[in-house]
Amino acid sequence: MKEKLYKKEITLTLIFSVLLLLMGHSASIFVLFPSLQQGSLWGFPIQYILPILLGWFGIAAVCLVMAIVCNKFDDEMESYVNSLPPITENQTQNETETLT
Amino acid sequence: MPTEYALSNVWVGLGIVGILFAIFYYVGYMASRKTVSDEDFYAAGFSIGPVTNGLGMAATWASLATFLGVIALILRLQVPFVYLWIQWAISIPLLTLLYGTSLRRMKAFTPATFIRQRYGKTSTIVIVCWMILIMVMYALGQMIGLGRAFELLFGVPYNTAIIVAGLATVGFITIGGMYGASYNAAFQMVVMTIAMIVPMGAIMKAMGSSGWWFPPLAYGDMVPDMIKSIPTFFDMKYDYRWYFSLIPAFTLGPIALPHLAMKVFTASSVKSARWAVVWFALFLGLLFSGTYVVGFAGNFFTATTGKVIAKADQTILILNVFYNPTLVAAFVMGGAVAAGLSTIGGNLMAIAGLVGSDLLGIIAPNMKSSKKMRWGYAALAIGGLLAILMAFSPPKFLVTSILWAFGLLATTATPAILLGVWWKEANKLALIISSLFCGFLYILISPHVFPSIVVGKGLVAALGMSGGMVTIPLSFAMFILMSIAFNRMAVFKAYTPTLADKKVIDRIHGWGTEYEETRYNGITTPIIISIICMGIFCWGLVPWT
Repeated sequence: MKEKLYKKEITLTLIFSVLLLLMGHSASIFVLFPSLQQGSLWGFPIQYILPILLGWFGIAAVCLVMAIVCNKFDDEMESYVNSLPPITENQTQNETETLT
Repeated sequence: MPTEYALSNVWVGLGIVGILFAIFYYVGYMASRKTVSDEDFYAAGFSIGPVTNGLGMAATWASLATFLGVIALILRLQVPFVYLWIQWAISIPLLTLLYGTSLRRMKAFTPATFIRQRYGKTSTIVIVCWMILIMVMYALGQMIGLGRAFELLFGVPYNTAIIVAGLATVGFITIGGMYGASYNAAFQMVVMTIAMIVPMGAIMKAMGSSGWWFPPLAYGDMVPDMIKSIPTFFDMKYDYRWYFSLIPAFTLGPIALPHLAMKVFTASSVKSARWAVVWFALFLGLLFSGTYVVGFAGNFFTATTGKVIAKADQTILILNVFYNPTLVAAFVMGGAVAAGLSTIGGNLMAIAGLVGSDLLGIIAPNMKSSKKMRWGYAALAIGGLLAILMAFSPPKFLVTSILWAFGLLATTATPAILLGVWWKEANKLALIISSLFCGFLYILISPHVFPSIVVGKGLVAALGMSGGMVTIPLSFAMFILMSIAFNRMAVFKAYTPTLADKKVIDRIHGWGTEYEETRYNGITTPIIISIICMGIFCWGLVPWT
């Protein structure tokens, strides 16, 4: 269980980091692939309006999903931590000795 | 003939700014009654709800530059500067994801609270010094801007403006502490958004746009005229490396800004912090999109009317004086002042936290909560007064663009925080060496200190984009490789992370008392990251065109 939770935490962090970077830096995709600089939306060139939209609603959408998914993950983590046996006095003493 | 800003009736401007300050002082006074401990003073009692926090985060991030400098740079650089600005919006979401919630879990007041627990005293002093330097640069820039705004608004000399505006500002921030800073910032965000967006509707209508009902996104019908007047307006202008270099300097830098992190820490819970980020993205997106339309309209104004805007950073004010009544123009100026005040509030709170809590925590670790709070008030007031004094005759190296300072922060503090949170091998000596070496290297290769030793040229060098592409990856790579080496050398045993240091990491990730040695402890991924960093470092050294 703890291994699964650990992997899930790393995976979620990586996925959301990449998604946020993509939303914030989408303009660079148009530089990397100039052929995408074609067409328009609401009267604006696509390479202008799309980064603005992704930098606003795209980031907000990623943050929304991030809040839902990460908060759910916190619940899973909390129920795992609560399922652990309480620390005994002996364990605490051993721990203190190791630290000192 | 060049067009300059001049308010036809100064008393209208005085009235609006006076009303705003009266509200800020009232909020500050009410907040002071709730402040009874250091937790209240530095973190608003960890009690701020998601909507207020989202507004406060957005206000703290949006500075006077959002109203003045950014629009000037859009006028000069056109669309590439819009792209540069868009990516700021991911700073607080990334910060929250990568370390904000972890540090909120440990009830940190500033990122340096974590540095102290994770790396010890010497490393904390190094990081706190870098952060204070950057906060002073930030606050000083805002204070100077505020003085200039008052000078412009009321026609008083700069020195008088800086005394009046500075003291009035430091007063309400000091009274309110973090409660006051949070509630005032939320109110300031509402004021600045209305001041940015609503008057633009009238301006767009006067310019002939049918999209006046929603200025941030409905000005598409002005595009054909814009292309006819300025054919290159929508050109991307720079190569891919220019756009990539935004990531190290401008994405990784702001995520270590203590005043932004402190907003995340004020959340009522870890979950509430994540919801606050959703509101932050929506509110900031609205304000920033307003900034882009003002930049667009400024270009449109000069191209279609033939008028020259003498001072580009006054564009929003000139447009409002030209197209709107005096009362509206004065309210826009009030919005710009609110933007400056919210940032100064965040900066001064960060200086207070770094000095009053983190540095003092090293000198007097057992100080009582009430005494810590009193020191916090003192640090806040002294920090504010120093910013006012420095604003009279600012040292040249401190008034360099704050955008340049983001690269310095990404070089010196970001690796310490990110690797400290995610990697148990992160070594305190490696941190001190990499932070100091790369930090001074960043200063050295910028055009601001030794103009003959520069990586890159022109704007990319001045803003720290080229320098950051060298020193930021180098700092990460040095930190990782030296940590691996030092942890395996008996001579550096004193600097190796202890079990207590490692336990901090598991605990802040939510594992409670359960500890697992192998978690966050591999070396393969860090080595891969350092190889990628060295690749970026070499790319940054290739001559910039």
